[in-house]
Amino acid sequence: MRAVLASEWLKLRSVGSTGYAVGAAALTIVLGIVWTLYVVSLADARGSIRAAAPEEGFLPLVQVSLAVLGVLAITSEQADGMLRTSLAAVPRRGRLLFAKAAVVGGVTLAASAAVLIATYTISRLIAGDRALGFNDIGLLDGLPTVLASALSVAVLALVGLGLGAATRSTAAGIFSVVSLLFVLPSVAAYLPAPWNTRVASIMLPNLVPQIAGDRLSRRLGDGVLPPWAALLVLIAYGAAALLAGYLVLRRRDA
Amino acid sequence: MIELRQLTKRYGDTLAVDELSFRVEPGHVTGFLGPNGAGKSTSMRLVLGLDAPTSGQALVNGGRYADLRRPLHEVGALLDAGAVHPGRSAYNHLMCLALSNDIGARRVAQVLELVGLSGVARKKAGGFSLGMKQRLGIAAALLGDPGVLMFDEPVNGLDPDGVRWIRGLMRGLAEEGRTVLLSSHLMSEMALTADRIVIVGRGRLVADATVAELTAGYPSLEEAYMALTASSVEYGAAR
Ligand SMILES: Nc1ncnc2c1ncn2[C@@H]1O[C@H](COP(=O)(O)OP(=O)(O)OP(=O)(O)O)[C@@H](O)[C@H]1O
Ligand SMILES: [Mg+2]
Repeated sequence: MRAVLASEWLKLRSVGSTGYAVGAAALTIVLGIVWTLYVVSLADARGSIRAAAPEEGFLPLVQVSLAVLGVLAITSEQADGMLRTSLAAVPRRGRLLFAKAAVVGGVTLAASAAVLIATYTISRLIAGDRALGFNDIGLLDGLPTVLASALSVAVLALVGLGLGAATRSTAAGIFSVVSLLFVLPSVAAYLPAPWNTRVASIMLPNLVPQIAGDRLSRRLGDGVLPPWAALLVLIAYGAAALLAGYLVLRRRDA
Repeated sequence: MIELRQLTKRYGDTLAVDELSFRVEPGHVTGFLGPNGAGKSTSMRLVLGLDAPTSGQALVNGGRYADLRRPLHEVGALLDAGAVHPGRSAYNHLMCLALSNDIGARRVAQVLELVGLSGVARKKAGGFSLGMKQRLGIAAALLGDPGVLMFDEPVNGLDPDGVRWIRGLMRGLAEEGRTVLLSSHLMSEMALTADRIVIVGRGRLVADATVAELTAGYPSLEEAYMALTASSVEYGAAR
């Protein structure tokens, strides 16, 4: 297994798309600085304001960039035929997919944690003691949400990997991730109460606030899941997608 | 050794390989011939366990390929020279494969030298010519110093120098006691390279004989091939 992990790690490092995906995610730091400077200038003019936290507002950028990295980890091999070469070297398909999952999960967790913690910390430092709304809790008290967000990014990358393997198409893989991230949650939000909150509680992006013990949104109120259950559901998303990918990869001709 | 036993593969209504049985023995180059769509590439994919047979078996050294723990040490194959990530360097491409089978960087440098790609090892494979990609694919097949080798049309795209080089390489590998299965459409080249010939047509075995036996009744291998496959040239027909 160590050999296959080393191979997959080099595969990921040795293609340009990985750099672009991580770079796009890291753009969040820059956008977070610009956003914070902007709201600081507003606060300086008006006294205090209630602004959105940059690491939450720009989270979708991190999620989509790194989910694409997960999708491409398998679909690019399927597209150019490299998958056949890979499977000739590692015929146990579950082993190959597992190694990819471990590398993609590790890299995206590290990258998203770095980007989000940087965005979070820099924005608080710039804010200083101005009241911007998002900085009304202590620096350490906000960290659980940031870490839950990073975890959600890694899970989304694994969902991308699993659904990429299952659909065998880059476009379908990315579309699946975007659906889970944006389309389904917005549909859920328009269900009649109390079903909107109930269904929204199991939507992937809404698991982050529930893991951190926050409400879903002003409109939906508190989610129905306790933090541990929300964490389990988050992990189940990744596991289910990887299982689907494995079943297709195992059965189909390469 | 490679052994096909009643190997059959059906894609929808296309019978790509039809109860095909033959053995490829070590010590000589076995040429794999047949018209376009005869099932040569499919047979090779079945041997590597990439596609699952509809029925029958494909064995390497008496076992299933999928059961090999570090397969590159036993079997090397070049199926499709274009099957590389265009953005990855030749060196990294080989290194990715090598790492998965516990093969070191020294061996990667060796095979790059052997196929004449050392000078462009750090260049992206996407920019390679067809002939350079073929050489990269051959390097990948040789990585684990395997006893069984399969090459699907490796001469395709090679310059005259490269064609001659392949001929020597194949014969050399066979002389070292390895099993070498080589498909090609170039009859005159095959006559110079192979000792045995397996001909398939429409997924079925047409001939399995030595080059000497085949050319006994005909002026050349090409003539023998034309006569033997005359009734099997029918592309992609449902059957
Ligand atoms: N993945 C696939 N799906 C459907 N049909 C396939 C697939 N692979 C091969 N075939 C069909 O199987 C038959 C055998 O194809 P194969 O590629 O094995 O022939 P070949 O002998 O390698 O031909 P060539 O000399 O042109 O390379 C063809 O009719 C082809 O269309
Ligand atoms: Mg072919």
